[in-house]
Amino acid sequence: MIAAPRRWVVLGPGLPRAVIGAGIGFAVGGGVLAAALNADAGQIFGLGYLFGLLGFLLGIGAFHFWLTWAAGREIDLTEEHAAHGRAGEWQRYFRFTTDHKVIGVQYLVTAFFLFFTAGTAAMFMRFELAQPGIATNKELYNTIMSTHGAMMITVALVSIIGGLGNYLVPIMIGARDMAFPKANALSYWMLPLAILLVAINPLVGGFDSGWTAYPPLSQQANLGQQAYLMAFITVGVSSILSAINFLVTVFRMRAPGMSLMRMPIFVWALTVTAVLALVATSVVAMAFTMLLFDRLMGTAFFRSSRGGDVILFQHLFWFYSHPAVYIMALPGLGAILEVVPVFARKPLFAYPLAVLSFISIGVMSFMVWAHHMFVSGMAEFFHIPIMLTTELISVPTGIVFLSALWTIWMGRIHFKVPMLWVFGFIWAFLIGGITGVFLADVPTDIALSDTAFVVAHFHYTIVGGTILGLFAGTYYWFPKITGRMYSERLGLLHFWWFTLAFNATFIPMFWLGIEGMRRRVADYPPELGTINLFISIAALNIALSTGVFVFNMVRSWSRGPQAAHNPWRAQTLEWQVSSPPPIENFDHIPTVTATPYQYGSLGAAPAEGRSAP
Amino acid sequence: MSPRRHLLTAGAVWIVLSVLGVILVAGMQIIPVIASREAEIENSAFVLLTAASVPVLMLVVVGLAYSALRFRATDGIADGPPIHGHTGFQAAWVGVSLILVLGLFAYGAVGLVDIRGAQAGVFEVNVSSEQWTWHYEYPAVGVRSKELHIPVDRRVHLVITSKDVIHSFWVPALGIKQDAVPGRPTHIYTTATQSGTYPGMCAELCGLGHTGMTTTAVVSDQAALDAWLSQQPKEPPP
Repeated sequence: MIAAPRRWVVLGPGLPRAVIGAGIGFAVGGGVLAAALNADAGQIFGLGYLFGLLGFLLGIGAFHFWLTWAAGREIDLTEEHAAHGRAGEWQRYFRFTTDHKVIGVQYLVTAFFLFFTAGTAAMFMRFELAQPGIATNKELYNTIMSTHGAMMITVALVSIIGGLGNYLVPIMIGARDMAFPKANALSYWMLPLAILLVAINPLVGGFDSGWTAYPPLSQQANLGQQAYLMAFITVGVSSILSAINFLVTVFRMRAPGMSLMRMPIFVWALTVTAVLALVATSVVAMAFTMLLFDRLMGTAFFRSSRGGDVILFQHLFWFYSHPAVYIMALPGLGAILEVVPVFARKPLFAYPLAVLSFISIGVMSFMVWAHHMFVSGMAEFFHIPIMLTTELISVPTGIVFLSALWTIWMGRIHFKVPMLWVFGFIWAFLIGGITGVFLADVPTDIALSDTAFVVAHFHYTIVGGTILGLFAGTYYWFPKITGRMYSERLGLLHFWWFTLAFNATFIPMFWLGIEGMRRRVADYPPELGTINLFISIAALNIALSTGVFVFNMVRSWSRGPQAAHNPWRAQTLEWQVSSPPPIENFDHIPTVTATPYQYGSLGAAPAEGRSAP
Repeated sequence: MSPRRHLLTAGAVWIVLSVLGVILVAGMQIIPVIASREAEIENSAFVLLTAASVPVLMLVVVGLAYSALRFRATDGIADGPPIHGHTGFQAAWVGVSLILVLGLFAYGAVGLVDIRGAQAGVFEVNVSSEQWTWHYEYPAVGVRSKELHIPVDRRVHLVITSKDVIHSFWVPALGIKQDAVPGRPTHIYTTATQSGTYPGMCAELCGLGHTGMTTTAVVSDQAALDAWLSQQPKEPPP
C-alpha cells in the first residue's frame, strides 16, 4: 500500500487550500480586476465567482496533474496512486480523488444533501400555503420557491447519473475506471461552489423568477438571480464534461464480449442520457449566458424595448429543459428496469425493444419542447406539430411499462425494499404519464397551464421518474457500495410512509389545479384552505419519512451486518466482485457471453472469468 | 393455474373495471364553471382524455395488483420462466398505443382549431397589463375600464399586451389563457354562453404582486353592455 506523501495533508491540494483559493480568487476577480474595470455590483459578483471557482479548483488540486505535465516535470506515480485514495479511508471523500467509486459516492451524498435542503425549502412553502392569507412574506416565498426548484432540478440532474452512474457503469461494463478519471473528478468538484452559490442566493437578495428564469422578470430581479444563472451554467459545464466521459467509457472500455446489446439496461439508459446532456446542455448554457450579458453588459437579446425577443429565451430554455426531463427520468427508468428482473427472477421482457425505446425517447425529446409554450404567444401554426410529437413520445415511454410489467408477470416476486420502490415507481410514473397527456392536448392545456395541476404532474414524473428510481437504486446497490446491509424493517417503513405521504400530497393538487389554483402563488381563495392544509400535513410526512431513510443509511453504513458479494443473486458484473469492489474493480477483466438477464435458464452464465469475490 | 388462465382472469378484471370507470367518467363536468364555448370544448376534451386513460390506468394497476397477489415467490430459490419477449404481443402493444395517441391527437387538433378560430363581426377588446394590474380598452367606442365587459353569444377578440414583464391573462370560466408578452401583442378568442361575473387572474409568475394580480370579467347581453359602455367617460386613445 502506498502512503500519501505527508505534505498533502498540510499544505498540499485539499479542501482547506481550496477554500483559501476560492477566497483569493474572489478577491482578485471581484476586487482588483473589477476595480480596474470600474464595475457595478453584478459585474464584481460575476468576476469574483469566476475567479473564485478557478481558485477553488486550483486549491483542490484539479489541475495538479495537468500543470505538472505542462511544466515539464515528471509525474510522480505515488501521487497518481494516492489520488485513488486508500480503501476504507474516509478522508478520500473530501479530496480530489480519481477513483470512479469515490466520485460516485461524492455525487450521491452531495445529491442527497441537496435533496434535503431543497426539501426543507418545500416545507417552508407548504407552511405558507397551509392556510389562506400571507403568514410569512411574499418576497421570501418567491425566493424560497425559486430556490427549491433550482436545487431540486440539480438533484434530479446529477443524483443517478453522477452518483449511481459513476459508481456502477465502469463495473457493469467490465472496465477498471471511467475513460477520463481526472476529468471525472473535475466535473464533480465544479459542483460544491455552484451549489453553495444557489444556497446563499437569499443573502444577496434572492430571486423571484422561478427556476425557469423567464426574462424580463429575470432581467430586473436581484443579485440572487445572477447567483442562480452562474451556478446553473457551472452545473451545465460539469454535466457536459461528465457526458463526454460516460460516452467514451461506454463506447471504448467495454470488456471482451460486452457487445452493445449485452449491456445492462441501466448502462443503456445512461448512454442515451449522456447524449442528451451533451447535445442539449450547451443550449441552456447559451441562453443563460445571453441573459447574464443582458443583465451585466447592456446587451438586448431578450429586451423587447431594444428589438430583443422574450419568447426566444423560452424556446432556447425549453429546447434544453425538455430533453432535461428525460436526462432526469431515463436514469431512473434504467435503474428500475435493472432491479425488476432480479426480484421477479425473470429475464427483462423485450430487452431490445426497451433499448430502442430509450433511443427513440432520446431523439424525440428534442422535438417536443414547445408544449411548455402553448399559451406563450409563440407562432400559431407551431401548436399542431408539437402536440403531435408530444403525444407520440408516449409510445416509446409506454414500452418501458411493457418491459417492467411483463417482466413482473408470471415472475417469482421477492418483495424486498428495492422491488417495493419499483411498484411505487410504476404507479407514480404512470400517473405522471397519463396526466402529461392532458397537458400535451392544447384544449385541456389552456385550462391547466400554470396551475397546481402542472405542479402535481411534474412531481409525479420527476419524483416518480428520478427520486423513486434513486431510492430503488440506492437500496439495491447499498450492499455493493458499502459492503453492509441496510435494515429491511426501516426500509419498509421508509417506503410505505414516503409513498403514502407523497401520493396524499400530490393527488389533491391535480384537483386544486382543475379548481383554478395557480402555481407559484403564496395565497389562494379561502375555500381551498382545507385541502391545502391536508396537503401541507402530507408534505410534512414526506420530510419525516426521509428522516427514516437517513437514519437507516447512516447507521447501516457504519454498523450494519456485513453483506455478501451478491445478496440478490443478480447477474450483472458489479455483483460478481466483492462488496465494496476493490480499487480498479477486477483482478482480471471478465469475458461476457450473454445479456445479464438469464434468469430461469439453468447453467447459463452471462460472464466468465469473474473476479473472485 | 396455467399462464392462459392467469391472463384471462386478469383480463376479465381489467375489462370490468375499465367499463365501470368509463361509465363513471362519461358526461362528467370536470371544469368547475363553464361559461363559454371554449370552456365547453375544453371540458369535452377533458372527459374524452379521462375516459381514454381509464383503461390504460387499469391495465397497469390490475397487472401490478394481480402479480403482487398471485406471483409471489414461494421459496427462495426458484426462478420464473425464461421468457425474453413475445414479438406479436410487443407489436400489438406498440400498435395499439400508437393508434390511441394518434386518435387523441386528431381530437385535440380539431378542438384547437375550434378554439383558435377567428370570425367576422367580432367584439374587440384590448387587454393591457403591467405589474400588477389589468386594463381594458374598447377601441370601437374609445372607452377604458378596470373590469372586462363582454357580450354574451358573440365572438370576442382579445388583443393582449404587457408594459413590463410577462403576465398571463386567465379567466377559467371563459376557457381562455394567454400570455401577455412585452413587445409583441398576443391574441385570443372566446364566445361567452352564460351571462355573469367571473374571476380572472394572472397565471404567469410576474414578481412580488403576482398572487394578488386578479381581475373580473363581466358577461352581459349586448343591450346591457351597450348601455354600460355609453355611461363610461370617453377617453382619447393614448
